[in-house]
Amino acid sequence: MQTAKTSKTIMTVIILYLLIIAFPFIWVTLTSFKPESEIWGQSALKLFADQPTMEHYEALFKTTILNSLKNSFIIASITTIYVTLIASFCSYAIARLKFKFKKVLVAVILATSMFPQMIVVGPIYRTFVKLGWTNSFYITLPYSMITLPVATFILITHFAKVPVEMEESAYIDGASKIRTFFRIILPLAMPGIFTSAIMTFIGVWNEFLLSLTLNSDEKFRTATVAISFLRGQFQIFWGQVTAATVILTIPTLIIVILFQKQIISGITSGAVKE
Amino acid sequence: MKKVLSILLTVIMILALVTGCGSQPTTQSQQPSEQPSPSKDAESPSAPAEKTKLTFAVQADSTDALNQLIAAFNDSSELYTVETVVMTNDSGNMHDQLLNSLSSKSGEYDVISMDVVWAGEFAAAGYLQPIDELLAAKGWKVTDFNAGSMASGKYKGKNYVLPYFPDLGFLFYRSDIVSSEDAQKLESGNYTWADLLAMAEKYKGQGGTKYGHVYQSGQYEGLVCNLNEFTANWTDVKGGLEVMNQFTKSDVTPKDILVYTEGETHNAFLNGESVFARNWPYMNGMAASGEYTVKGNQVGFAPLPGGGTVGGWILGINANAKNKAGAEEFLAFIAGPEGQKINATVGSYLPGFNALLTDADVLAKNALLTNQGFSNALAKTIARPVVANYSEISDQIQIKAHEYLSGNGQLDSAADTISGLLK
Amino acid sequence: MKNISKIVESKTAYILILPAVVFILLFSIIPIGESLRYAFFDFQLNDQAKSGLYINANYNIALYDETAFYIRSFLDMEEEVVTKDETKLQIDAIRNMLDEYDQYMLNNISSPDMASVVSVNNEKLAYVTKIRDNIMSSLEKLYSFDEPFVCEEDMFAVASELDTAIISSNFSGLNNFKSVLTDTRVHSTVGFTLIFTFISVFFELCFGMALALIMNKALKGRGIIRTVSLIPWAIPTAVAALIWSYLYNGSSGIISHLFAWLKIIPEPTELLLSSTGSLWAIILADVWKTTPYMALLLLAGLQTIPHSLYESSSLDGATKLQQFGSVTLPLLKPSIFVALLFRTLDAFRVFDLIYVLTGGGPGGTTESVSIYAYKVMFAQTRFGYGSAVVLVMALTVGLITFAYIKLLNVKLIND
Repeated sequence: MQTAKTSKTIMTVIILYLLIIAFPFIWVTLTSFKPESEIWGQSALKLFADQPTMEHYEALFKTTILNSLKNSFIIASITTIYVTLIASFCSYAIARLKFKFKKVLVAVILATSMFPQMIVVGPIYRTFVKLGWTNSFYITLPYSMITLPVATFILITHFAKVPVEMEESAYIDGASKIRTFFRIILPLAMPGIFTSAIMTFIGVWNEFLLSLTLNSDEKFRTATVAISFLRGQFQIFWGQVTAATVILTIPTLIIVILFQKQIISGITSGAVKE
Repeated sequence: MKKVLSILLTVIMILALVTGCGSQPTTQSQQPSEQPSPSKDAESPSAPAEKTKLTFAVQADSTDALNQLIAAFNDSSELYTVETVVMTNDSGNMHDQLLNSLSSKSGEYDVISMDVVWAGEFAAAGYLQPIDELLAAKGWKVTDFNAGSMASGKYKGKNYVLPYFPDLGFLFYRSDIVSSEDAQKLESGNYTWADLLAMAEKYKGQGGTKYGHVYQSGQYEGLVCNLNEFTANWTDVKGGLEVMNQFTKSDVTPKDILVYTEGETHNAFLNGESVFARNWPYMNGMAASGEYTVKGNQVGFAPLPGGGTVGGWILGINANAKNKAGAEEFLAFIAGPEGQKINATVGSYLPGFNALLTDADVLAKNALLTNQGFSNALAKTIARPVVANYSEISDQIQIKAHEYLSGNGQLDSAADTISGLLK
Repeated sequence: MKNISKIVESKTAYILILPAVVFILLFSIIPIGESLRYAFFDFQLNDQAKSGLYINANYNIALYDETAFYIRSFLDMEEEVVTKDETKLQIDAIRNMLDEYDQYMLNNISSPDMASVVSVNNEKLAYVTKIRDNIMSSLEKLYSFDEPFVCEEDMFAVASELDTAIISSNFSGLNNFKSVLTDTRVHSTVGFTLIFTFISVFFELCFGMALALIMNKALKGRGIIRTVSLIPWAIPTAVAALIWSYLYNGSSGIISHLFAWLKIIPEPTELLLSSTGSLWAIILADVWKTTPYMALLLLAGLQTIPHSLYESSSLDGATKLQQFGSVTLPLLKPSIFVALLFRTLDAFRVFDLIYVLTGGGPGGTTESVSIYAYKVMFAQTRFGYGSAVVLVMALTVGLITFAYIKLLNVKLIND
């Protein structure tokens, strides 16, 4: 019921807003095509390079950045799958079932995310060294520390919103709780599951400290760590850092786009009704 | 649920394919990395018999010196073969990475390279093996090596390190702007900070420059190095802070000199914005490369009035190394005349083995060493304190000094605190 | 019949939470617990006498052996330069002492497994203390002779390790916590972190809400809007911080020049130089980076609000704004709570961003608790004290969380 004029204003505001949000990324993309000498000084403030170059991308592809990117994808995906799965079990139990020590469990989950990651790195590293698990994909296991609490809490709010009546009608039909969970509850909480999956994925994707410590070997290095190698003792190779940022960001966005289509279909299919 | 999983799996597979195509040789994670690793090359022809593997924790070398060093050692050694573990180039992160490994008593790394300021801490913690026996066995004296590097690794009467490559801070000036008379004065080292300030004011603006002098004054380790020089190795803390403040407030330095690190310094100097700059030798390499506005032939070198802070990297043996004899052999090779010569000729690093300072091949590759101003600077080096709690002291010096320089603190309070810390 | 199924059903909850409990136990609780134990000890790695958690007295026999070796080799060097007989006699006397002590170590202290640090009882402790004193006094006697000694300074430095080798209990009870409470740097870092957390989470909530409402609307180009708004979040924090440091740079940063041109700041260089400038620079970068996170959480909540509720309220003649207040906000409360909670927890632990942008400068004014704890633990290796700082920090966040739960009156779990 909006007039064409107001909707135009809204669109303008939105476009402006998006431009502001995207600006740093656009600038970084433009900078990645500037030769190193134009990245600093007066020409740094120009929009386009005087002598555009692909040299930073070429230099980057000579490093093992693609392998690191692959590691990041594998590690983030494995973590996303198992964390989303166990978080959805756990949060369904918390949201819907009765059991002893529920409040304690919720409090403990919340409490673990009040501690900074740096204090778990040492003990986990020592255990991993003992088990011979450093430089492997076992690193996905401790990532539960940073991702499980958020995933669980998001899912609790979503499971809590699934109408009780639907569950009850399933029980009346004689379905067990586990069966009800998989057949009725899970599909209804899909938007929440996708949201928590994206949260988990990006959380792992962005992680630096554990990855640096546990997977120091070039073969198992993740992309965030690989970028930290793009510097000399006294300087940062800005051209390569900006190029790497572009390479790192675009595939993540593709994932996000794929996921959010699912979120949209989750609503439009009208799965959540009263 | 099936739908979720299938989407996830598809995404992973697509991406694995996309990224996998770009890096075919690494699809098998168990295989050695696709980069030709010198240790492997060296291994196959000379000795098919099993050699003991040693690991060397070191930052990536932008030159080929490290590769050649390792290859040379692997060729010559009958018993050992060395593999490098490339550590992150972010020194702070590398310190933590080492600390995690060493404190767990892991023998993951046999030989480790360290920033000069870590040695006191690592030695006090008992992570390093003293090297006095090795020196005696090789017939070397402490004085055969770079004095500053050795001093930084001597703790409680024991020597723990040998130099990998020494570094020092000194003054760069624009030889095409500064008059030869002033240049001579600078190169001799017989000048004061006040003289430098006056010269910076005099030359500022000439030859397209915007600033007189740039140096490192951000709140980080570089500030301690610079303050060390301004205070003539902490002999006059108050005076040094005052002079530094004069530089900060004057218009010869950029307005944001208080965030300057080495990066800002070389950008300003090499882009022709500053007449003078305090930096490490690497900046000469950048100037000589010819990729910047300021070329190698426009740059001169001089000692700093208070002496130049020693930096650079040193080598030590992990006290929990799996193979100490092998670690000693490798350390002796890399820090000894052979290894240091490769490092100096291939990588243009300053040699840590003093006899090489007059070696013709080294001099041919390292133009700095034949420069009078630089030689004078090399003779006037000063070290930062070697104590177990260095980073704690350094951190407090940084905060106090930066607080004063940024106008948030008093001179007396800063000077007293810093002097107190150094006692 | 019904009874049996009830037992199975009630067990279901435990089966469902089991995997999560195992993971939390193994990778959160145990490691956190291990680190927090440090807080009760004067535990620091850069001092061999304190580099472990020692309840009882111990002796570092490896360090004794190394020290004895050094003393002997220094004695050899001195023997070559000394001239008087009495000096030589003293040198021999010290050598004999060392032989005797070596024997004692072998018979009484060293353990079968050749451990470098062994626990000692009071009697042995008294003996190793006597060893230290005897050696020190004989060395003092040696160097009191008038001789051209060559390594006096090194000798005493090395001999001082005999003291380091004696490890007394470093259990310190609550001392670390007492020091944390009186540490002015803890006060200033907690203060700064609170300010940072509240300002940035506030803005993130406002912008995040706006963004979520836009994303939820059936506008043209919704896909593009969503994708673009998620860009900042997809850039890892460590990298985003680097990018902002480039954009804020006084001479080459586009943002600092833009702000100066807009007269927000007097000079492009001002942004990272003053404490207020840096605070806002950090907040801007953080808001930019994490607003999408907030928006996505709120969006997920928005989507579970049934359309029929809006329809019925607009039939009642409610305006859009009234709808937002009466329908959206109340139903969105659990999502807002979760979003606020986790953003606050994250913001309070802020590390990478500040570490890269200002390193805590100028003059330590932008130092967060995490940065301080990190410096104490990893740079200065005082793990005991650092753990105490972390624990105090966690308790502070705990209080904030508690306040949120009370203020928002959210019931996440219905018992």
